[in-house]
Amino acid sequence: MGKAMLEVKNLRTKYVTRLGEDVYSVDGVSLKIEEGRSLGVAGESGCGKSTLALSMMGYYFPPLHYISGDIIIDGQNISGMDPDKVRTSVLGKEIAYIPQAAMNALNPTMKIIRFLEDVIRVHEPKATKAEIRERAEERFVSVGLGKEVLDRHAVELSGGMKQRTVIAVSTILSPKVLIADEPSSALDVTSQKLVIKMMREMMEKGYIGSMMFITHELPLLYNVTDDIAVMYAGQFVEYGSAKEMVFDPLHPYSHGLMGSILVPEEGTRGMNLTAIPGTPPNLKRPPKGCRFAERCKYATVECSYVAPIEKKFGENETRMYRCLKDEPWLRKTYEEEQGGASNE
Amino acid sequence: MKQILRNIFHSPRFVVGFVIFCIVLLLSFYPMVSIFTPMEIVGSGFHAPGTYVNIKSTIQSRSEELKYVGAAGLSNQFTAEELGKMQEWLVKYGGIDQAVVDEAAENDNAFLELWLSTYSDDVQYKATQAYKREMQKYNKQILRITATDSLEIGEGDSTITVKSNQFVNVKNISNRVTLPLGTDNFGADVLTKLTSAIGVSLKMGVMAGAIATAIGLTIGLLAGFLGGWVDNTLTFFTNLFTVIPSFVILVLIANSISQAGRSPAMVSLIIGITAWPWTARSVRSQVISLRNRDHVNLSKLSGHSTARIIVQDVLPYILSYVIMALILQIGSGILGEAQLSMLGLGPSTTTTATLGLMMNWANTFSAAQNGQWWAFVPVVLAITLISYSMNLMNTGLDQVFNPQLRD
Amino acid sequence: MKGFAKYYGKRLIWYLVTLVIAVFLNFMLPRLMPGDPISQLVSSAAAGVTDMNAYQKIVDQYTKEFGMDKPLIQQFFIYVGNLFKGNLGVSFAQYPKTVSAIIKESIGWTLALQIPALIVGWILGNVLGAVAAYIRKGWDKAVLPFFLFISNTPAFGLALVFVTYLAVKAGWFPVGRGYGSQFASPVASWEFVASVLKHYQLPFWTMVLISIGGQAIGMRSMSIYELNTDYVKYSRFLGIKDRKIVMYVFRNAMLPQITGLAMSLGSSVGGNLVAESIYSYPGIGSQMLKAISARDYPTLSACTLMITIMVLIANIVVEFLYAVVDPRIKAAQQDG
Repeated sequence: MGKAMLEVKNLRTKYVTRLGEDVYSVDGVSLKIEEGRSLGVAGESGCGKSTLALSMMGYYFPPLHYISGDIIIDGQNISGMDPDKVRTSVLGKEIAYIPQAAMNALNPTMKIIRFLEDVIRVHEPKATKAEIRERAEERFVSVGLGKEVLDRHAVELSGGMKQRTVIAVSTILSPKVLIADEPSSALDVTSQKLVIKMMREMMEKGYIGSMMFITHELPLLYNVTDDIAVMYAGQFVEYGSAKEMVFDPLHPYSHGLMGSILVPEEGTRGMNLTAIPGTPPNLKRPPKGCRFAERCKYATVECSYVAPIEKKFGENETRMYRCLKDEPWLRKTYEEEQGGASNE
Repeated sequence: MKQILRNIFHSPRFVVGFVIFCIVLLLSFYPMVSIFTPMEIVGSGFHAPGTYVNIKSTIQSRSEELKYVGAAGLSNQFTAEELGKMQEWLVKYGGIDQAVVDEAAENDNAFLELWLSTYSDDVQYKATQAYKREMQKYNKQILRITATDSLEIGEGDSTITVKSNQFVNVKNISNRVTLPLGTDNFGADVLTKLTSAIGVSLKMGVMAGAIATAIGLTIGLLAGFLGGWVDNTLTFFTNLFTVIPSFVILVLIANSISQAGRSPAMVSLIIGITAWPWTARSVRSQVISLRNRDHVNLSKLSGHSTARIIVQDVLPYILSYVIMALILQIGSGILGEAQLSMLGLGPSTTTTATLGLMMNWANTFSAAQNGQWWAFVPVVLAITLISYSMNLMNTGLDQVFNPQLRD
Repeated sequence: MKGFAKYYGKRLIWYLVTLVIAVFLNFMLPRLMPGDPISQLVSSAAAGVTDMNAYQKIVDQYTKEFGMDKPLIQQFFIYVGNLFKGNLGVSFAQYPKTVSAIIKESIGWTLALQIPALIVGWILGNVLGAVAAYIRKGWDKAVLPFFLFISNTPAFGLALVFVTYLAVKAGWFPVGRGYGSQFASPVASWEFVASVLKHYQLPFWTMVLISIGGQAIGMRSMSIYELNTDYVKYSRFLGIKDRKIVMYVFRNAMLPQITGLAMSLGSSVGGNLVAESIYSYPGIGSQMLKAISARDYPTLSACTLMITIMVLIANIVVEFLYAVVDPRIKAAQQDG
């Protein structure tokens, strides 16, 4: 087992709306990513996955607020640190972020190199312009962007180029953890492939210690990440290795998500997360029992009253599901479901 | 509709603007209750704000109106306690012997003499401010009693002298006139003139604004909806007139019309036909964004005439913009009138004043240079308030109709 | 770079066409009015000339030089021809002074007053708008509304108020004129410069104060928009300090405000020129007012033409400056 690069223990954060209401979008998330590995997080829009990405940065900009939990990066717990110190010594250097709308993530009137100077100098105030340029050129060439990009303004770059530039900028300081929030969802298929290829190469070259990849497009995860977690209503309902999650999903919600991915060639077709009837619960007042109960076709009365806890099993407890039903029952149900589906 | 109105009146900016505007509008009704007509000459030349007494009439009714209050000894003017306090001061701070003071207190004249020779407001002594102020008050009263100046009222044979220790109760004078804002260079009551000018200027502003908006709306609609060469041509002229300052065109046209021809309506017309380009521009861009909406396309497919589509499917959607543009145009119309009038190209009229003309007159008669603020400060304030209220209402409406602007 | 050059070549041509039309309007508008107003103007002119012979001479000279007896279109070409020679005719009111001499005397004063006032007002307005957007609270509730109120005052109205309260009553500033009355005409001495600066303050600050509010409100909404953009959030998550991010935001919000500068120019020039005349400042505005009251047609016509040309030039400068400093525009032009 490798060294844990990122460990999150029971993280809880909330949004405060304009009307002063609390929205508990991340409500008790625990996870672990080892060095050189990547975790994919999937879920419907509004399930809290983007908030999870922001919450893991350890610095909270209103309206997002920290409630409780630990974020440990390479053995260092950043959730108890002074926020200003987190900002200057952790953000960008230890943990880096690729935003959802990377198209507009770069200041349009600034040359890329000027921005890189600002980024690097936050953490290395003494770095000279020449040093920074040398480093930036080396890195940009290495990730296949070319050094001429450095002297361009963001507005002069195409969409795909912008996206890859953002990735290169985010990782310029070789962060231990990279959090990518749907970095490819706005791109065309070719650009998406390039972006994903680039991120994998960066992992291989050691520019990124570990990675968390958030998406609503499940097929992407199977190709990109080592592990997959499924998020629902502010909590993980299940996680495991990509293979386990695809071929052996346990949680009824995962069934719905993963069912059609069984045949990978067809997996990319017809995938629609909202195919599960119903809508996620209102996170201003999370349900008392299982959060999925209202939409679960196997729900019993008990499900509405008893909140299921995380059940872990497997070697090193790398597999988890959150359901009142037990493992064999869930497997059997899934098989019946699949069988039933193929019989039809 | 009700919902929209409620939203509008929930915007604090709009409400503030609306209230200011209503107050100014209410003011414009003042001439109806004023005892003067707007252009009536009340006095001669500039008079500062205040209450004035018309002398001749006062004297005619003298027996009833003037009351003399004679001075009958210090005891009539001061209470025993007050006199005691003054004596105390003389001893304590004036450095006069108690005996000397007691002796002087027996005789009014001796006491006054002693007080006047010892006390002065400039004397430095340690006491509370309240005490000092009390002493200053007594001193003032004594000075008034002992003063020998007198005021002459009237002229020639009917002159009467009101001594400084006598009083005239102003309330009892029937020919008293209060001029809250004084009189202007012509000697007309500024308040009446100003309020009537507000009415005239508002009317001119509305007329100019309506003309400008109508032209801008027509050009914007045609350019935006028809597109092609019509759009190109109209846009060319619109851009042209946004770059050439409208002020120049305004002056050139206004200067070419003879003095007699420049009626208020004519001036409004000139302002209106030079102020349309900005409205045309924004209407055009609104119409372009509407042009390809589904409901418009549906109407086109149904074979409705262009005029009908514009009136039924386009106009209602840009109505809020048009109203906002109109509000701004009214405000700038009033400013435009003021500008022209300042240049001496304002409306030529002998029956009404406008805000611009009032400022022009004040400027021509050097009111600013002579410190006669009442002749123009209220006018400047009126123009500013009207324009400010229009602006506030505009931004308020903008926030209601374009929610993304809310922050 | 090619698309860029092509686009601005087109823009330059557009401005040239606009200039030609502006000259045409300047010539035509007064003549198109019913009743041949120009000949009326000419015949009723010369308020400052008492000698009948001299007056007749002026009118004759003008009629001859500008071909008043010829058809309109021919008159226009004579007018343009004269314009190229710098011949704007002879002033009716200040005979025998030529109009070009009057313009030459006054245009420097106007430019030296209005351009710095415009720029300073623009900068202060932008700073206020940025502060209001960033700090909110009192700035948003009190300071900004105050300047908005001021900017709704006509410049000449504020000038009148200032003359009374700051010049006459408080005595802090001279009442008017461009320099002290001890100087008969501009001379090159330090005392003269000091006197000019002293007389410069009041007109200058009047125009600055008027323009702050309008600029500030534009900058405020632009800054609020920029503060919520994605690059702000992204920069924060790279650890960059708020102070630096605010600089990014203000730079990006301020650049589009350069067009606001051009817009305010066209709308404020009138009020500012009239304000000039309130201060008896020796610029175009005062000359214009004098020309109107003396029915001095050639001088008025030259003044309006100069104003138009100045505004056009300012527009060109602003448009090109904007394209140079804001890479967003350059990129947009290259695409198109």
